[in-house]
Amino acid sequence: MIRHLSPMTRISVKLVTPPALLVGVYLLFAGHNNPGGGFAAGLVFGAVLILRTLAEVQEPRHAREIVAFGLFAAVAVAIAPALAGGVLFDQVIGEIEVPVLGKVKGGTALPFDIAVAAIVVGLVVALLDGLAASGGIRSHHRLEHDE
Amino acid sequence: MDDLALVSVSWWLLLSHGFGVVLAALAGWRHGIRAGLTVAAAAPLATTIWAVERLASGAEPETVELVWVGGLDLVLRFQTDAVALLMTVLVSGIGVLVFAYATAYFGPDAAGRSRFPATLLAFSTSMLGLVLADSIWTLFVFWELTSITSFLLVGYKSTSDVVMDAARRALMITAGGGLVLLVGLLVLADVTGTSVISDFGAVDGAAASIAAALIMVGAATKSAQIPFHVWLPGAMEAPTPVSAYLHSATMVKAGVFIIAVLGPVFAGNDVWMALGLAFGISSMLWGAVGALRHDDAKLILAWSTVSQLGLLVTLLSLGTAKGVFAGISILLAHALFKAALFIVVGEVDVRTGTRKVSELGGLARKMPIAAAVAVAAGASMAGVPPLLGFAAKEAAVEAALELDGTLFAVAGVSVIVGAVLTVAYTTRLLIGLLGPGPDVAVAPSRPLLAIPSVVLAAAGLVGYVFLGQINAMVVPAAVELDTKAEVYELYRWPGLTVGLAVSLIVIAAGIVLGLVVARRTMAVPKPVGADFADRLLDAIPIGSRMIIGRIQHGSLPIYLATMAAVVSLAALSMALRVSSDRIVVWDEPTQALLVAVIVAAAVAGVFVGSRLGAALILGAVGICVSGVYILHGAPDLALTQLLVETVVVVGFVLGLGHLARRFPDSPDTWRTIRMVVSLAVGVGVAGALAVAGAQPVGRPPIGELARAAVEEGGGENVVNVILTDVRGLDTLGEITVLVVVSIGIVALANVRRSEVTT
Repeated sequence: MIRHLSPMTRISVKLVTPPALLVGVYLLFAGHNNPGGGFAAGLVFGAVLILRTLAEVQEPRHAREIVAFGLFAAVAVAIAPALAGGVLFDQVIGEIEVPVLGKVKGGTALPFDIAVAAIVVGLVVALLDGLAASGGIRSHHRLEHDE
Repeated sequence: MDDLALVSVSWWLLLSHGFGVVLAALAGWRHGIRAGLTVAAAAPLATTIWAVERLASGAEPETVELVWVGGLDLVLRFQTDAVALLMTVLVSGIGVLVFAYATAYFGPDAAGRSRFPATLLAFSTSMLGLVLADSIWTLFVFWELTSITSFLLVGYKSTSDVVMDAARRALMITAGGGLVLLVGLLVLADVTGTSVISDFGAVDGAAASIAAALIMVGAATKSAQIPFHVWLPGAMEAPTPVSAYLHSATMVKAGVFIIAVLGPVFAGNDVWMALGLAFGISSMLWGAVGALRHDDAKLILAWSTVSQLGLLVTLLSLGTAKGVFAGISILLAHALFKAALFIVVGEVDVRTGTRKVSELGGLARKMPIAAAVAVAAGASMAGVPPLLGFAAKEAAVEAALELDGTLFAVAGVSVIVGAVLTVAYTTRLLIGLLGPGPDVAVAPSRPLLAIPSVVLAAAGLVGYVFLGQINAMVVPAAVELDTKAEVYELYRWPGLTVGLAVSLIVIAAGIVLGLVVARRTMAVPKPVGADFADRLLDAIPIGSRMIIGRIQHGSLPIYLATMAAVVSLAALSMALRVSSDRIVVWDEPTQALLVAVIVAAAVAGVFVGSRLGAALILGAVGICVSGVYILHGAPDLALTQLLVETVVVVGFVLGLGHLARRFPDSPDTWRTIRMVVSLAVGVGVAGALAVAGAQPVGRPPIGELARAAVEEGGGENVVNVILTDVRGLDTLGEITVLVVVSIGIVALANVRRSEVTT
């Protein structure tokens, strides 16, 4: 635990957050054709979360909800093709015209990657939550209480 | 095979049972227990009609198979031969009546409104699957399901300690017996080389005898044979519909059923016969003695069931065609009269508030319908004409008289003595309920309570009148188990034979004995081995707590050391096969540079004393390893490794915050152990990897995967397409593990918080 948290740490963590998130989103979308994917994206988001927790900018919350969303989404992607008469995990690929970006190609692999990312993030949040519970992290609540 | 499954009615009926369980739960939850039970009765009703129609039309047996893992023989396989259909009529037909009875038995606001109908139907489903099974694995799965569902049903009143003890005892004995049965079936499958029951031929040899013994013991636990009968009287804590269904017609017959079905396989096997006769005869006689001495009418019926099951096991173990035929006949008759008697006793209990024979009497006038049912069903149990029980008992007496030598002296005489005792305890029960005795107040009747028992008791009479129809059901079933049984049939009146003379003597002697012991209070026998079973029941949780306490000591370093030691053992055995001539030192010098950094960092990591320093050094190792991946042309792997290292290092920084800055000193022995284990893991894993890399087996599937990735997955990153599409199910499994871990951590965190706050 960083006892005397420097303003520098806090501010740099806050500054780093948006570009880091952007990298994560890029990995998520790039994964299908280039290095990246749901797991990598989830790790980037997870790292951001840990940093923000470390800098006491944020508290880890809603692990269960995030994980539940991820698992539901993953299962939905898995069985949706089967319900439509195909096999499990049958890939559906479509192309749409988006005004600014032009032709965008996407498949059901993307929602599955998002689900994977969500579960990884959920796991990180759960870990942070566990650390906080065992006294590893000072929570905002306790900070106020101390002062 | 799948196509076959789709066209078969039996398959759809089983499936409809499955859906029925869900619907019954929903109906019970929305509209109360009665609605749930009504919905639950639909599938058994359809099944009964189907089975009766098939039996009447003499349709050829059909087989349904659903292959799961063909190579391991893991299939769901069902068939509809005459034995299976006869059992189906019993299971589903009596099931419908029990569901009808239960709607009247439970008040509209009874507890477990959603749970009870669903569990009862789930039990019925398991039983149906059991009797239709044609693969021993299918049979075993449904066998275990009946154990579990019956545990839930016996434990219906889960707030009472007595009830829960009874349910646990039943589960312990039947599930333990299930394990014995499983081993027996494994041996049998090995001996015969198949798991398909209808393909079994006769077996012999020592292995077959072992299988015979194990299967017989497994069957005896389920059919409450001595010394495993402990659970059955206790299970009478269950509500009456459960007792009438499970403990008369169905579950206890599962053991008898498996003895009947596997009888031809073990024909002539001495172990099978000797064990069967030992179980059967002792249960038949001791059960009857118990029934003769108890005061609680429901316990009388329970002990009588032990006795009747003993009779069935004896008849089926005789190894004669007549024995098999008599066994099947009594199986049918017993299901009808015993279910009726249970229902009557349940009604007596509800309307008078007691089941004690010594406190009851004069019910003939006060409860005329129940009294008539009791007389009809009781007379059928005693084997008095003109009832189905008479015709069936006559066949049993014939089967006993036909024996000779020692077998007659042991089994034949026992069957006849058992018949006398049966007449005696029936007489005593009927006199206790209906004869003169204490005046009891009787609550007004609820007609619905009586209807199912009237149907069941009337079936005994109707069956006697239309004995031809009964023969049409019983004879094919018996013939299937023993072809020589085709010459037999049930007779309405056998003529003036020795058998009839014996039967009449049996009835007379039994009535005299019954009159002598009626209204006499006797010491109630305790089931053999009851104390042992109870001690075992107490010992199991204590023992498992002790073992878990030893294994799960809670010390993280020791857990890690244990795991690492096991890994090193596996890896070292493989590493010994390393051959130096196949090892390539490096592909390009850059690799050597990276590896030098890795080694240096790893060595430094061992000697550094600060925790944070060690964490950072570990991170350096990991990042250099990802550099190695890049040199090998695996950017995806490198990216993932890099990110994992980042997260781990940041996590360490966070987590180490509340630990001491430096590693604690540890005792020398512990330090030595850790060093040895670490060295072993390092050397072992490195060696094993060298061996694995030097001896590739088969060709890497990269070409095929790359093609599939672009054409079917629509992506150029093969790794990602494999993860999200080609092997998507694996990924789903892996992320499910992550979910489970997350839930575990959150749960632990919550426990921790509640500990802190309290």
